[in-house]
Amino acid sequence: MADFSVSDSSAAAADAARVRALASFKAGDRLFQGLTTLAAVTVLLVLGGIIISLSIGAWPAISAFGLDFLTTQRWAPNARPQAVLGGLGPIYGTLITSVIALIIAVPAGLGIAVFLTELCPQWLRRPIGVAVELLAGIPSIIYGIWGFFVLGPWLADTIEPAFVNAFEGVPILGSIFDGPASNLSLFNASLVLAIMILPFVTAISRDVFSTVPPVLKEAAYGLGCTKWEVVRRVVVPFTRVGVIGGIMLALGRALGETMAVTFVIGNSFRISGSIFAPGTTISAAIASEFAESRDLHQSALILLGLLLFVLTFFVLAAARLMLMRLERKQGV
Amino acid sequence: MNPLYARRRRTSTVAMALCVAATAFGLAWLVLILATLFWNGLAGFSLDVFTQMTPPPNTSDGGLLNAIVGSLILTVLGIGVGAPIGLLAGTFMAEYGRYSKLTSLIRFINDILLSAPSIIIGLFVYGAIVVPMGGFSGLAGAIALAVIALPVVVRTTEDMLLLVPIQLREAAAALGMPRSHVIKRITWQAARTGLITGLLLAVARISGETAPLLFTALSNQFWSVDLLKTMANLPVTINNFINNPDPNWKRLAWSGALIITMAVLALNILARSLSAGRQSK
Amino acid sequence: MNDMSIMESTRAVQDDVKVAIKNLYFYYGGAKPSLKNINLSLSTNQVTAFIGPSGCGKSTLLRVLNRMYDLYPNQRAEGEVLLDGENILTPKQDLNLLRARIGMVFQKPTPFPMTIYENIAFGIRLYEKLPKSELNGRVEKALRDAALWNEVKDKLNASGLSLSGGQQQRLCIARTVAIKPEVILFDEPCSALDPISTAKVEELIDELSDKYTIAIVTHNMQQAARVSDMTAFMYLGELIEFDETTKMFTSPAQQRTQDYITGRFG
Repeated sequence: MADFSVSDSSAAAADAARVRALASFKAGDRLFQGLTTLAAVTVLLVLGGIIISLSIGAWPAISAFGLDFLTTQRWAPNARPQAVLGGLGPIYGTLITSVIALIIAVPAGLGIAVFLTELCPQWLRRPIGVAVELLAGIPSIIYGIWGFFVLGPWLADTIEPAFVNAFEGVPILGSIFDGPASNLSLFNASLVLAIMILPFVTAISRDVFSTVPPVLKEAAYGLGCTKWEVVRRVVVPFTRVGVIGGIMLALGRALGETMAVTFVIGNSFRISGSIFAPGTTISAAIASEFAESRDLHQSALILLGLLLFVLTFFVLAAARLMLMRLERKQGV
Repeated sequence: MNPLYARRRRTSTVAMALCVAATAFGLAWLVLILATLFWNGLAGFSLDVFTQMTPPPNTSDGGLLNAIVGSLILTVLGIGVGAPIGLLAGTFMAEYGRYSKLTSLIRFINDILLSAPSIIIGLFVYGAIVVPMGGFSGLAGAIALAVIALPVVVRTTEDMLLLVPIQLREAAAALGMPRSHVIKRITWQAARTGLITGLLLAVARISGETAPLLFTALSNQFWSVDLLKTMANLPVTINNFINNPDPNWKRLAWSGALIITMAVLALNILARSLSAGRQSK
Repeated sequence: MNDMSIMESTRAVQDDVKVAIKNLYFYYGGAKPSLKNINLSLSTNQVTAFIGPSGCGKSTLLRVLNRMYDLYPNQRAEGEVLLDGENILTPKQDLNLLRARIGMVFQKPTPFPMTIYENIAFGIRLYEKLPKSELNGRVEKALRDAALWNEVKDKLNASGLSLSGGQQQRLCIARTVAIKPEVILFDEPCSALDPISTAKVEELIDELSDKYTIAIVTHNMQQAARVSDMTAFMYLGELIEFDETTKMFTSPAQQRTQDYITGRFG
């Protein structure tokens, strides 16, 4: 009996010590949870801040030009009595370079992904995978100066004249591939963009290809399918949504890419039908003119930025929704 | 052999050959770009690059010291601000808010910020910091970089913490550990390698960024570590020097390009080998 | 007078009862209970085993006792669980304090990503500020209690993850006893272990029952028979039968208990 009461009181003492210790943790616990919540909300605030900041900056241009901004090609910040600024040129350039970049990068990226998942010997997979991902790590300004000094002149000497000659006189195609060849052109920008987004297409395609249950592929091989047929009839259909999501993600990157494009596109606001002519994109226009711009000119550049943000927002949102659908299908 | 099967096999062989060609196409660019960089970057490389300031035009010496130091300051500050917020936000998403709708929303928004054009971040910081503060500054540049680093850290933190088995958290909670202790001492510890990988990737991401610095930190021809003034940095210096007819500036721009690329690639490789080491364990 | 005697008798019972579960229902969200009207008591310093087929709710019951379910949204318990006569299911119950009093050992060994020494010292330091020498003593005692000391005394600074599965599980037990709980819950502690490690852990549970009130969930009926004083058989979220282990395994009152024990289903 005595024994019991001793153990009881010592247990009570231990309990009291624990209660004290826990009370001292409580404030820190709350503080930590509060901090993490605050940090998480910061992510939302950044998005809100971007939208508000750009909208305020763009407002003078919106009220001055309205919807005409989207249809006007003339870009004359120093015109009298008032600047005439239209965004059609950069918007056109942004869309056309991104589309051409996708046309080049998507087949190549899918090809590399197939190579990495189906063909490549195991020991070579990692080095090649890393090498392709290193392409994504190279800063975009490096692509820009490389495109400017190396790729541009080479294209102007070889590929561009070949296309111009081949399609000379052909209706439509003749004007798309019209000369003269130039170091600075929409096409050069597109090719640089294609090289830059190639790793994204590759990485995401490889990841979604690897979500195909092996048993599905084995079943197809078991029927005597060739490698190509397995890819074409099993892997691609199974992962279509994910691949499209990856392509949209790459498109989002291409639309907003700045430095690489700024160096090689020529910064011309005039729209020419030929892809070998100079042009500009939204981000290139901002990068090359913003620091020296003032008043309405600056506001118009911010408006271009706002348009770019809205455009990429929807493209990226669509991409994420598609990738999420694939994840759900997997039951992850 | 069955002629139909022969044709199917031929198609397959051609398709697979194209895949190999695509891989060669992709790798060729990496080789070409690196070769160009080494060729032009090493040509004018000397110790002066690291010890001398950026020169005025039409001289024959000088280096990139102020730009390198400026870049280091901006990157460290950018990570110093962006990484802790990202770590805490990712922690909220994987721990306290794991099952909440708020987390799904934040994840969605964060993924968009992750791929948002960096020049837009520059415009945002210009409107939110540069204009109110009355001028370009290193501080504004650092904040722009922090905004770019934030989503990278958020994403990797959440991913890595979600990989920590739930049983480990339960076991810690079963000892009566307060939630914040469980997170800081157990979950973060268990995910340490992954968290460091994310940090390195974020550093790699921001240390080559040019566009957002063009109208935040601007650049500076001279030595300055004052955060409230314009600050020299490698990317913008490269941007300003490379297009100049002065051969000395062009030489320095190539050297800078080589330095920055090697630094970024080294960070990438380090991050990847860390995560590979973790996988094989 | 009559009332008095009833009160007397309940108090007499309560002296022995460590944990009393009364009218307990548990929901994983939704309206369908996963535990239905559970009533039973864990007696002080006895081993109570919970057996039953997968999904019968025996692990769920264990996770109610230290309110582990509170980590997850939408999961809720109704009814009463009295620890020393106090209901622990009230919202004002401090969960950390509760879990310090009711320790738990899990199915899979869960050593923390730190050294063997730190794995144990960590929990102690949460509640007590001890001088280094005393802390060392406590760590050694916990490791001895878990019959692990001789195997790890020369590598206390090695990672807890470097131990074998059985050693890891004993490390987790040592970690649990180090903070001096009153009740220890074992959730299938041997299901991931080989037979030799299992024998060691069973032996350990037997020794621990001198000092602690123990509840163990197990799939293994021989294990229940070997280690427990009382056995509860659960089926589809209900408590079917609860009695002394010797009686349960020789002459169960319920047909379903007999069917399960003789391996006719489960």
